[in-house]
Amino acid sequence: MKNYDNDDTFLGRWIAGELSDEELIAFKKTETYKQFKLINRESQLLDGPDIDVEKALHDVKQKLKQNKPKTIRLWQTITVAAMLIIALGVFFNSSKTYTNAIGETQTIVLEDGSKVHLNANSSLSLKRFFWSNNKTVNLDGEAYFIVTKNNDFKVKTSKGIVKVLGTKFNIKDRSYFELKCYEGKVKFSQLSDASSSKILTQGMQIIIDDNLVEDVLFKEESPLWRKGVSKFDEQPLHLVLEELTQYFDITFDAHNINKNRLFSGSFNHNDLDLALKATLIPMGINYKIEKQTIILSE
Amino acid sequence: MSEKEPSICEEKIYNELFRKYYEPVTKYIYYKCGNLHQAEDIVQNVFIKIWKLCATIIYSKAKSYIYSACNHSFLNEVAHEKVVLKHQKTVEEHTNYESPDFLIEVDEFRIKLKQAINMLNPKEREVFLLSRVEDKTYKEIAEITGLTVKAIERRMSKALRELRDLLGAHIKV
Repeated sequence: MKNYDNDDTFLGRWIAGELSDEELIAFKKTETYKQFKLINRESQLLDGPDIDVEKALHDVKQKLKQNKPKTIRLWQTITVAAMLIIALGVFFNSSKTYTNAIGETQTIVLEDGSKVHLNANSSLSLKRFFWSNNKTVNLDGEAYFIVTKNNDFKVKTSKGIVKVLGTKFNIKDRSYFELKCYEGKVKFSQLSDASSSKILTQGMQIIIDDNLVEDVLFKEESPLWRKGVSKFDEQPLHLVLEELTQYFDITFDAHNINKNRLFSGSFNHNDLDLALKATLIPMGINYKIEKQTIILSE
Repeated sequence: MSEKEPSICEEKIYNELFRKYYEPVTKYIYYKCGNLHQAEDIVQNVFIKIWKLCATIIYSKAKSYIYSACNHSFLNEVAHEKVVLKHQKTVEEHTNYESPDFLIEVDEFRIKLKQAINMLNPKEREVFLLSRVEDKTYKEIAEITGLTVKAIERRMSKALRELRDLLGAHIKV
């Protein structure tokens, strides 16, 4: 027998007059029927709150009157102002980027007369306006800097910041980082450890490979790449291969060779064929050219 | 072809909608939140929005738009308070029961009834009041709340059972 105890819709159906005759007769016989009936009757005598619809309509109309023109005008002003500010900001903050493709080099003369020789597959960016107020350039790749004297000049790289006071130096920020000072003085602050900084003078260089910082001395008077040559002194083959791809638009398939073997030697940037011969043959590596890919084997 | 729908952007039509739905929707929201001021605010803001968006709301969908928009803004504010109910003016006539069914004074019972209704879970309270006080059918309540009729029957049953548990002791059987 269904009743309010075992049917969770029973009372609901009773209120709606949807019980069957048998259900209703049985329900009326129960002791609690009278209680439910009273609760129902008394509940129906209750009333909700009084609501003044006309006043509410009037209020809404008032709010619409006050709101509309004000918000729209204010909104428009804000939008226009914001757009102007953004546009100006974008304009004055915009930066100029010089990018070299593989095998390309270019020389950039900055506002203050400093020169940047940008190597292949590299880019240099700086602020388009008010650069002289804060002479900072961003370098990705390799460049040789000749900075005019008495100059607060900074180069940001992925590994750290190089600060200059009138000098010649070369930065190479590729799979490893190399900073060489050719003249004057530079100060290098590593990104990962800003508190420690190093000062380099002529003939000193810093190499960062895999977060290991190494201080080395060197002899040449200007970067060899400026003469179109790359030179290696007991450096792992993968660096040689990386260097080749900066000047020639090729990729290497080096699956079958040991890329950590050390190479000493050099190649010229103007002839791919000669460059491959100069680097791979001394290492005893065979190569096969397929379109842009050079397949290497031992 | 069906006739073109009236535009809510016409003030006459808008006023008509307002007069038709403002009160029932406000009561519905009031039964949910128990704060008349809050309920009126919610509903008035929805009507302000309707005027601003009048071109995008279809007249025949206005009712469900109003209810669901109010419900939505209510859910964003959620605060359930007690509902204040009063007795109809006609109550006096109904009080002459042949035999008094209450073990306590009628007036006292009525106070207890209102308290008990406020003790219900808000979901059941809302359905119970829409049905008993606003005389809405389950189908209408289903439209308003977005529940199924079955769910409303269940909530109604639960509300009644709870009210009897709370009040049964005061009713003579």
